[in-house]
Amino acid sequence: MPALPSDTSRPVRIIGPAASLVLCLLAWLLVPGTTMAGATAADDHTQAVAALTDVNAAVAELVRADASYVADPKVYHGAAQRAINALAGTHGDGYVASAGSPGDAAGAIGHIDSLLDRSATLVWTGPLQSVEANIRAAVAHLQDAAKARELMDYAGDASRALDYLQVARGRPNETGVFGGLEGVLANTELGIPPGAQQQDACRAPSSAPSYGTHGGYIGWVALPGGNGTHELPEPSGVTSLSVQNGMIVLRTAAAKVVADACAGHAKGDPPDPPATQAAAHAMQTPPAASGGGPPALYTKAQAEAGKQIFDTKCVACHGANLQGTAAPSVAGNDYLVAAQRNGWTLEIMRYIVFDQMPRNAPATLSPTDDADVMAYLLASSCYPAGTKPFPSADDPSFAAIKLGPVPGQHPGQNAKGVCPVN
Amino acid sequence: MTLRQSLQATAALCVPVALGFIAAFGIAGSASAQITPSAQDFVNAASDTANWILPHKSYTGNNYTQATQITPANVHNLTLAWKGTVDDTGPMEVSPIIYNGRMYITTAHDHVYALDAATGKPIWSFTDNPHVISFAANRGVALFDGNVYIATLDGHFIALNAETGKKVWDKLTVDDPANSFYTMSPVPYHDPETNQDMIFLGVSDGDWGGNGNMTAYNPKNGDVIWRWDTVPGPGQPGHDTWSGDSWKRGGAAAWGGVTIDTATHTMYLDLGNPSPDFLGSVRKGANLYTDSMVALDISGAKPKLKWYHQFIPNDTHDWDPAMQPVLFTGEVNGQSRKLVAAGDKAGNFWILDAETGKLVDHTAVSFQKGHNTAPTLEGNVACPNTLGGVEYQGGAYDPATNIFYVPSQNECGFWKADKEAVYIAGEFYIAGAFPKLIGPDTGQMNAINVSNGIFAWRHHFNLPNYGGALVTASGLVFSGNLGGNENAFDAKTGNLLWSYDTGGYIQAPTEAFEVNGKEYIVVASGEAGNAKIPELPTDPPRPNSINVFTVP
Repeated sequence: MPALPSDTSRPVRIIGPAASLVLCLLAWLLVPGTTMAGATAADDHTQAVAALTDVNAAVAELVRADASYVADPKVYHGAAQRAINALAGTHGDGYVASAGSPGDAAGAIGHIDSLLDRSATLVWTGPLQSVEANIRAAVAHLQDAAKARELMDYAGDASRALDYLQVARGRPNETGVFGGLEGVLANTELGIPPGAQQQDACRAPSSAPSYGTHGGYIGWVALPGGNGTHELPEPSGVTSLSVQNGMIVLRTAAAKVVADACAGHAKGDPPDPPATQAAAHAMQTPPAASGGGPPALYTKAQAEAGKQIFDTKCVACHGANLQGTAAPSVAGNDYLVAAQRNGWTLEIMRYIVFDQMPRNAPATLSPTDDADVMAYLLASSCYPAGTKPFPSADDPSFAAIKLGPVPGQHPGQNAKGVCPVN
Repeated sequence: MTLRQSLQATAALCVPVALGFIAAFGIAGSASAQITPSAQDFVNAASDTANWILPHKSYTGNNYTQATQITPANVHNLTLAWKGTVDDTGPMEVSPIIYNGRMYITTAHDHVYALDAATGKPIWSFTDNPHVISFAANRGVALFDGNVYIATLDGHFIALNAETGKKVWDKLTVDDPANSFYTMSPVPYHDPETNQDMIFLGVSDGDWGGNGNMTAYNPKNGDVIWRWDTVPGPGQPGHDTWSGDSWKRGGAAAWGGVTIDTATHTMYLDLGNPSPDFLGSVRKGANLYTDSMVALDISGAKPKLKWYHQFIPNDTHDWDPAMQPVLFTGEVNGQSRKLVAAGDKAGNFWILDAETGKLVDHTAVSFQKGHNTAPTLEGNVACPNTLGGVEYQGGAYDPATNIFYVPSQNECGFWKADKEAVYIAGEFYIAGAFPKLIGPDTGQMNAINVSNGIFAWRHHFNLPNYGGALVTASGLVFSGNLGGNENAFDAKTGNLLWSYDTGGYIQAPTEAFEVNGKEYIVVASGEAGNAKIPELPTDPPRPNSINVFTVP
């Protein structure tokens, strides 16, 4: 069995979720153990857990800002700075007290430095050095993100930082084995909570609860028998063990990724990305109507009224077929494919219609007329009508509705992908 | 996808058209021998009365023809020779390219039509219909190396076989297709030092959050030979004219055409406005080389900046110098000087010294207001609006009169800026909204005395006058009015000598050419597109057409 997986310095791609689960279990179960290892100080475990908590806090800041979809750059700059603070700690480079910190005073780097500040080279020394390198790379990108002038620049910097933080936290590498902080917590003595009983991993457990260790690695974790779920006291990478009918079922750190991926397969979706991206992925799907299809955003009457307005105010440039004459297409395949490619949300579409159009007299239609035009455009793009009218006032939830081709068959849809409005 | 020919066979024209057909057999041999112009043809384009092979006649950008058959004395007999309608929507902005009796035109959605120049008979056509980011427009093709080159609205650079119209190669040549596209005519060039053929092409991305560049491509395959970025990056001179990271989405699109002094290997470019267009406070500084004319030394492996002249530092109104620079030798205060002229959308006409870039003269050609006030959150009025002033259709210098002819528009706008700039891929990056038109919207043809910058004459229209200017050696100035009339003026006096209603709105330049020794005038007309103003009637619909005139 190879030593613990060491982190690569750059992000790695998750392989098939089922395979990674198997490999993960193998790695966890087949750790060698022939000699007794010295107990790691309980403080080390606390430090490692605290480092992971700080990294998770930084990731959560970035995910939350991304999910907000607000236009205010301050929100993104603040998120990036708070993420830096959680990673760097109050004494680290880049810490700015005024932004606040979701982490603790030491910061992830502080905790890891204190773990690494010893002469002995332990089994987790290499992996933790790699974790720190990845965290520092993330901080460098976050420092760019914190002063990005535009949302797109921020998004680029923040997503690079997230990639590094995922590696630092521990996501499966190409062999499917967790590295990073979760990896060392799952597979080395750093994962053993204070006061827990350690036994020789080369032997079968004599009592439970206990940890079997060898050469600094954890070979096994034993829990008292009995049906039911047994929560582990710390986020050790292994999240829970289930004992069912004499079989031990291990919930590993990858369990959530795998569970998400399985859920995605059930719906016929492509395999999900790693867990930290799964949240962002979920946001790309429009809030489902009761039937699970695209949202109903307007009424039929609105769409019909909107057609009348479009035919007088918009048709000169956007064309009666909505495919554009002097101006771009505004419904159908060309529009929706561009919308999907460019990441346009309903909020962006609303902003263009309400605030930017008509181009030679912007914002001169009444909000009611604008709402009707929105309804007509959505209907023409085959979004379903509902009972609730498209509102004249802005709605923050529109920022979460990504535009794109509407799946399914649409009666009367023409070759350009435009649905009829009568 | 065909060009529907509607030959206007009036009694007066029957005989000349028939003669044209017979004589066409005579040139058929030479046409097939040389389907596209040679490098030397481009250098000599100014004196070639038969062909029109560069967007503005020659490398100098001067819409001046030595043709003399159509004169102030006979222009009243000028009649439609043929008219062809095209089946594409959008505005007609094309500079037709005409060579050896063939005319190549484009339409707003990148359709290309090869026609018989004397009759309008279709030879082949090519249809692209790419995704439109914002403005559907194409201003023409280039002919070179046996190919027809078109640059498209989705950032592709395409070579078509000039004989057949079949695609030879097709390359995505913009860096970011979400915000970058092409509208300009590609410009062929042969570097005499390296013996390298090139095609110059600039990108339109300035109002969408991109940065401009001028690129030399290999005509064989579309490979980049060199690229000159219009916004200086870190460490380059001029970079300090941008606050913070604002240079990264600074604009300065190179969409207005390419002027070349082949004797000195100098390229003159008028570069676009800074972005976000209406919020200067997020890009403090002069924002080089936006709203500037630059002179580039293109004799080496990469262009070197010789000089720049910025017309409007830190522009907040999208007032870029859209007009291609016009290089000419004119008389100033009794002295013959090498000059270069430009017009901008703020309604300024500029004459610079071509060797130094120093200002020689400045003439306000449009009604101007609010030039020192940036748009506010509440909104304020400034004139011209973004479609006013001097546009891209070009101007012309007449050595006989020492007069520069350039059209201009009076339009005003109510402008609003946003609090901050947010980049959305594929949408305008303007931090505000385009101005609401405040009428009236009018225009004029200006004749400016190069000696002193004073108007020699002006002709006022009750509609904008976008059609550029064509000067003939016989003393005529042609220009199309947005209302649809193609007009001919006496170059000396400004008297309107001839007018023809094309049935469409004109915003394309006028050109002259000859087939079998017979002189023709051509102009495209059709939909108003973005030039639409409340004064224009909406009925009946204006068909997109090519109008060719001759004196029977």
